[in-house]
Amino acid sequence: MNETGQIGKNYVRRNDDEQLSGEEDWSDSSYSSYYTDSDSSIPDWDSSVDERTGEVLYIECHPFVTHNIKDDKNEKEKCFSRKQTRRSTRGKFLRLLRRRDSKRYSKQNIKMSESELHNTNKVKFQDFQEGEEREVLLKVKNEATQRGHNFLIEPLLGINISTLSDGIRLMVAGFLPDSDAKYEKNIKIGDWLKSIDGIEVNFQNINAVFQQLSSKNEVLVKLQRVAGMDVTKDPPINVLNSQSSFVRKLTSFNSEEDEQFQELLCKFPLGVLYLDTDALDEMAPEYQDVIYCYPKPMQKNKLCNAKGIFLTLNHLLQDITKSPTKLTSLSFNNVLCHVAYLKFEKKLLLLMLPDNYAKPVEIESIVKEICRMLEFTYNTLDVFFMDNAQKADHTFSMFFAKVLNGGVWTGKLKIPEDISSIPPNDYVFEDLLLAIPTIELPNEAMIQIEDAMTELEACDYREWNEEPLDCQRIFTMLGSALFHSGYLLASHLIPDDLVDVNCFCKYQGILHLSKTEPLKTLIVWKEVFPTSCRSLNVPIFKLPDARRYLLIVGTGKDLLIVIMEAGGSTEPPEENAAPDPFYVEEAQATLAHLQELGIPELAGRFLELNIGHQPIPSTTSNKKKIDVSNLAKSPQGQSRDSLALNKKQEVTSILKRRNNDHAQTVYTSTYASVEDTYDVRSEDSESQGCGSEKSELSDDPIMGKKAENINIYESDNEESENGVDGSQMSNNSFDISEIKQMLLTETADVQPIQIATGAANVLYHYVQFDALEGILISPPEYKVESRTQKIVISSFRKCCQQIHGLFQNTIRFKDMSSQDMAKSVMNKSLIAIKEYGTMFECPFLDEKESKKNKISFWVIGRLFFSPHVREVYVCYNDAIPQNLIELAFKMNMGFCDS
Amino acid sequence: MVAYIFCVDSNSGLPIFSRKKGNVDNLPFSIKGSLNGAHMYGKSLKLQLLHSLTEDYCVSWKEFEDRVVLIGISSGCTQNVLNSLLNSIFYAMVLIIGIDEIRSQRNIDRLKRELKIGYPLMDRLLDSLDCGNVHNTHFSDIVGMSECILCPENHLIQILLESFIECIDSMYSCILIHGKIATATESWWSLDPEEIKLLSLLAVSENSTITKDIPIFLPFKSPSVAFRFVTCTLKPDIQICSLCGPTPSLIEIEHSAMQCFIFSSDILTSAVQTHPRNFPLLCQVDGGIIGLLLVNISAGKFMISKNPQQNTTKKLASSSHRLDILRTFYYQAVSFLVNDRNKHGNGNTTNKKIEKKNKNQKEHCNLDLNFGKETYWCSEYHKCHALISNDNILCVLYNSSIPTYSMRLITQKTLRALISDKQVCW
Repeated sequence: MNETGQIGKNYVRRNDDEQLSGEEDWSDSSYSSYYTDSDSSIPDWDSSVDERTGEVLYIECHPFVTHNIKDDKNEKEKCFSRKQTRRSTRGKFLRLLRRRDSKRYSKQNIKMSESELHNTNKVKFQDFQEGEEREVLLKVKNEATQRGHNFLIEPLLGINISTLSDGIRLMVAGFLPDSDAKYEKNIKIGDWLKSIDGIEVNFQNINAVFQQLSSKNEVLVKLQRVAGMDVTKDPPINVLNSQSSFVRKLTSFNSEEDEQFQELLCKFPLGVLYLDTDALDEMAPEYQDVIYCYPKPMQKNKLCNAKGIFLTLNHLLQDITKSPTKLTSLSFNNVLCHVAYLKFEKKLLLLMLPDNYAKPVEIESIVKEICRMLEFTYNTLDVFFMDNAQKADHTFSMFFAKVLNGGVWTGKLKIPEDISSIPPNDYVFEDLLLAIPTIELPNEAMIQIEDAMTELEACDYREWNEEPLDCQRIFTMLGSALFHSGYLLASHLIPDDLVDVNCFCKYQGILHLSKTEPLKTLIVWKEVFPTSCRSLNVPIFKLPDARRYLLIVGTGKDLLIVIMEAGGSTEPPEENAAPDPFYVEEAQATLAHLQELGIPELAGRFLELNIGHQPIPSTTSNKKKIDVSNLAKSPQGQSRDSLALNKKQEVTSILKRRNNDHAQTVYTSTYASVEDTYDVRSEDSESQGCGSEKSELSDDPIMGKKAENINIYESDNEESENGVDGSQMSNNSFDISEIKQMLLTETADVQPIQIATGAANVLYHYVQFDALEGILISPPEYKVESRTQKIVISSFRKCCQQIHGLFQNTIRFKDMSSQDMAKSVMNKSLIAIKEYGTMFECPFLDEKESKKNKISFWVIGRLFFSPHVREVYVCYNDAIPQNLIELAFKMNMGFCDS
Repeated sequence: MVAYIFCVDSNSGLPIFSRKKGNVDNLPFSIKGSLNGAHMYGKSLKLQLLHSLTEDYCVSWKEFEDRVVLIGISSGCTQNVLNSLLNSIFYAMVLIIGIDEIRSQRNIDRLKRELKIGYPLMDRLLDSLDCGNVHNTHFSDIVGMSECILCPENHLIQILLESFIECIDSMYSCILIHGKIATATESWWSLDPEEIKLLSLLAVSENSTITKDIPIFLPFKSPSVAFRFVTCTLKPDIQICSLCGPTPSLIEIEHSAMQCFIFSSDILTSAVQTHPRNFPLLCQVDGGIIGLLLVNISAGKFMISKNPQQNTTKKLASSSHRLDILRTFYYQAVSFLVNDRNKHGNGNTTNKKIEKKNKNQKEHCNLDLNFGKETYWCSEYHKCHALISNDNILCVLYNSSIPTYSMRLITQKTLRALISDKQVCW
């Protein structure tokens, strides 16, 4: 039950000494009294706490960003050891509360000096602005080989080096594993490496200098802390020059730069406008009804100038058609643009984007997503636009910079020359569905993840306190979710809230960050208003009068997202509460534990192995078909064997499918047009499909030798039992490293659910959209550079937009009351469509003789109503016989019904 | 089902005409004025308002010749269809009064008066909106295209028609059976699809007289010089239409028509039998097929049939919604693929000459594109499948019991059967 804790213990035992020294180190810091009794140091992110709202956005990156000496491993140790101390310290929780009080007290009384205080105390050796110079004696490792290092110094001193922002001065960028330097408290990542043995060093001379020194055993390194405290009002953050520009953009807001950016933006047909439709008064000043406008100034904003049109249409079309206006298309100097409307009682939100960035369907989704994100973070749009105008500017400058760069997040606010040079954005489909891309891991891994997350959510701290606590907890956990590289691994959140969180992470760039930047520490803390707690149309129960907070902690590519509630059963909520270090640590420890278990590696591998990495084969379908059938007819031989092999895999893949919780569409075929093999296969799969006993499967002769390798379920089954046992076994019989070892080795041969198997890839893409669960299953991004692939995917997305749009009619009609049906002006031919397919033919472009080769592929969307509404979209090669497709769909259905 | 089309003078904002479809009140003038106002205000800001969407409705603005603004509101149809309809309405205006009249526009009241005779034509055009409504009289219209009938006698009629045009000294002539083109001269087909469509509709609208002799302008071929559009009724439901200059007189034309067709009365009689099946009885189709739509996009013609089975015992009324389903399928699914193709041909679907010029260029573009070849829908009650083969598109409506995978084969077979028959002059 309390695995994390135990693991923590195990770990700590090994690293106790180290930790102790660390503690001493901290305790002789000159920090104020109420921290000395607490065992944990002031958290790194403390200076990032927004004075006003208590929000935190703290990002620390590898290897550029500084501040903290601990690298990954150390960090984990620290987390665990804290827990250890927590366990040993009596009434820790009480103390935590006390500490909070005193902290609050300090906030009220010495608010002005607080940030200063933090700064001075946070980094012990730091002088005010310039930072202290330190001299460190380092051992030189002469035996080190030099492979792939930029500088000689790297293996010698165990320090990674990069340059500071000026490109000349050297900076400590990280530590090599097992280096002494790592444990040297006086060297911090981000420090300016000034001199070695009295010789001043820089980018040009470092290697030369070091050649001289390489014979020595010890060198004296002189370092200087670089002043980087850039505490701005909005969101204050510790930015160093070495931070990547994207992170800097994310965390800091430069209003001057933004103003210039806005000026430039004004020449493009885009913008956001938030209007008060009630304030229509002929006599009023021109822009009185404008609550918020971006880009500014209003006089130059094209959207703002034309606001009259949209106000009129919004009002007028409502009168004529009895439904709100969704979209207006117009052309600005022959540039096609779309304006999406979103109406809130008396307010109107308008978003304008050029057509080459967003197609009509897309802009409608974008505006909905933005609105969802804003409501999640600010409850109402009014609060956001009226009280947080600067935040709004920041959010939208990021958004539009992305728009103008063809949908790519950029660090800098750069702008193309003119409208024609905006890189066109390809059709977007999956990204705009209100659902989260998910990867599925083997069950044993899931058990570990769920276990850890449940423990985090349970907030059961009895084990850590010998005496029962007599105080209320500060937060209850509403749920948590784990992301890896932007993909959801597990979620305990209500689907609506999950979608909220996803919108938030997407538009705040956090998902992008976790995908692209080597994160070291990410902490986001914010009061939020999740959909589930906001819009109870029929209040079945009374929601507690509480506040909810979003906590995101991240390291590497992993994000752990927790929504917490203060109020109700906990202590009464506090106004603009800052995060409690205890809970942040808890979340960090959970994440660290999951990483320790090897979950990221596993997830990474599953992403790698997915079909997104297979190129589309070059031959025309027809040709291939003939080839294969020839092979099949040849009585015996190698080719036959290989086919049989395929066959086996296919069977397994079907089975995997069936045993898989989140149903996906299966395409069980390779070039399964081969009649005879197909027959066998379908029989097999059906018979096996019927027998739901998993144990039978391994006995199945078809599995043969390969069974142990490819039968995912088998291993799942055993493994999960082990896993359960492991977590239930009370004492240290299971070491974390053992679990990791086991998890990784046992799953090493487990392939991700592969839908199509065989020599050539015939399934090009698939998307399953489950609006109820908020889950989207789709192969990860394509990394293979192929024109054909691009075209296939692009037409897939375009077609899916259309299909999805049509399906909405069916879904809408199903939900309609009979009264509404009679009144409705819907096109009655569109109300019952449940499947829509299109076949495309495209020349194969990856080869020179492209004219000859063509590939034909289908894009098919199906709508399923049971057990709940799901949409499935697939894109596959035309060569697959239709009856196999039917079979695959049928099996999917069968699974869902049962 | 609701649809409004109205026309406003761009400069003064005065209404020119207003048509509606469906059982609804007229739009009050204030609303029309505001809709026009929004467009006008946009013009002053150098932005051109194109269209707006609400849940079920689409509103479209289009300005022509800097003189008139056409505004359309419709439920249930796509914005592309509404846009094409606005174009057609404008061409109808040109057809009636000529482009010069619209351009000069000295007197709004006169313009209004002159356009009045075009109302039946415009109302007929409105029928090509697919609104999925059962109370529709003309299910079969497709915007921008003219309907044909594939009689097995077509090639015989063609020969008669050739002799007829020699008598009247005109290249442009066609035979309509139930308002659907049975056969036409080569020159007739060289007209723009919009023109052919308008002429076919004009021939059957307000059909109280046996003959018609109307001055018309051809929106593409001669927007400012009037032609005479003459129709004679050969038999009930069979008309012969031709475009002529000032001569010959109506009497002479009637006389020639009599002469050419008098001895072939039985051919015409048997040709009429093809209606309402609209394609030869001999051409048998699969039992699962309950509706057919054959389209030739480059010629801008189509054939639609709601009872392809020979032994149809069901009432026709119940089956007419099939046409609506087919048409909606065509508008939504097929034109989604076809429009895409045209976009790369300079975006001009109406001007055939330019399109031909661009053909090489188009083929070049093709390398970068992929074309939809087939598309299908499965609904609870029926299935639709379309096959695009060069210029021909066959959309088939199946009953829902047909297996999805067999639709492809049946459609292919049916298309082959339909277009291989040379006698029907497709």
